[in-house]
Amino acid sequence: MMTATMEERPSAMARATAGDADAFALLIEPLLDPAFRLAAVMLSDRTAAEDAVQEGSIKAWRKLRQLRGDAGSLRPWFLSIVANECRMARRRHWWSVVKMADVQLPAGADPTTEVESDLHRALRRLSPEERLPLVLHFYLDLPLDEVARTLGVSPAAAKSRIYRAARRLRSDLTPEEVF
Amino acid sequence: MTNESFRRDLNRAFEAMSGPPSPALSARVRSALSEPAPARPGPSFWIAGLAAALIAAIVIGVFVVSNFNRHLTSNVPGALPSASPVQTPPDSNLPAFVCGSSAPIGSQNAPLSAYIDAVRTGTHSGYDRITIEFQNGLPSSVDLRLQGNSTFTNSPRGDNVTLAGSAGLLVVIKGADEHTAYIGATDFKTNYPVLLEARQMEDFEGTVQWGLGLSKSACYRMFTLASPQRLVIDVQAG
Repeated sequence: MMTATMEERPSAMARATAGDADAFALLIEPLLDPAFRLAAVMLSDRTAAEDAVQEGSIKAWRKLRQLRGDAGSLRPWFLSIVANECRMARRRHWWSVVKMADVQLPAGADPTTEVESDLHRALRRLSPEERLPLVLHFYLDLPLDEVARTLGVSPAAAKSRIYRAARRLRSDLTPEEVF
Repeated sequence: MTNESFRRDLNRAFEAMSGPPSPALSARVRSALSEPAPARPGPSFWIAGLAAALIAAIVIGVFVVSNFNRHLTSNVPGALPSASPVQTPPDSNLPAFVCGSSAPIGSQNAPLSAYIDAVRTGTHSGYDRITIEFQNGLPSSVDLRLQGNSTFTNSPRGDNVTLAGSAGLLVVIKGADEHTAYIGATDFKTNYPVLLEARQMEDFEGTVQWGLGLSKSACYRMFTLASPQRLVIDVQAG
């Protein structure tokens, strides 16, 4: 499935750039899942995360001509747009920061049996900006250069942000344990 | 905890926060994409936009220059009834020193997190100064709390730290962080006439605190300056 998607990308990209919305939808289809996971962790709210992905998709569609590079650039570019949409969502709803800081359990999870780990609690205490590099590196398992492009920084700076945020979770981590 | 178990536990925590998207997300995005046509502004729109931006820049420039002095004064904490103004040189544009409590100042257009990228100290005739510089805009609020000793709480650890001096001033900055863009010292032992030491007391969850160790209980003033955006705190000597 992924192979087929990758093969379809060059032509889909050309058609999308020419204004074909269906082609663009085909392009970003495999990116919706990681984009949602990124947004859900940044916003701590699944509904707001889906809104952010939808808004991010529309903005990406409108800005598609600004995309530079090959089809491989699409994922970090799209994720950076969704991350920015999350930042804007938090600004728009600054009054509900307290509510958004309360992490919702995923559908199906039993809140009475859910035992929150120390790591989970520490993760919740991080700011969304601190969670972002961790999500990209650990949860979405992106290579370092894609993390850097999503964050809009150099690979060295991305590495530094990942390590710094990871150390906020566990202070005795060494770089070798993170990378 | 090994590297692998750290990764596994971290991903488990992420999974608890997120989980997969709803099956309807894909259809929802497709539907949203089919509604608006992509904006493809032509050259005339582009030129008009550039012209509008230039006009806006000129208007803002004139506004900033004409209001520069007033801007300084508007951030003076001396507006509080409890604050007692202290005489300042008549030719100075700087706000008056206040003794006692003061109202917090803040920016209405604060970024989500204002990144501190420099902290400097200096001594001048009649006052000592600490300047905190921000990379991307002023923070949402800054509060100063004068205290009768130089012992502060190191947050979030909770232990007490005693700085040089016999009095203190706590600087509480909300909506800021000091670990993204700042790589400088977090403890300045200055030994100026009144500001003896400045030390970071918190950089956690969007709150940055600096404790200032003072040689005596002193009056102070706080104001902001632009280009670059910075917070200036002067502690009166003499």
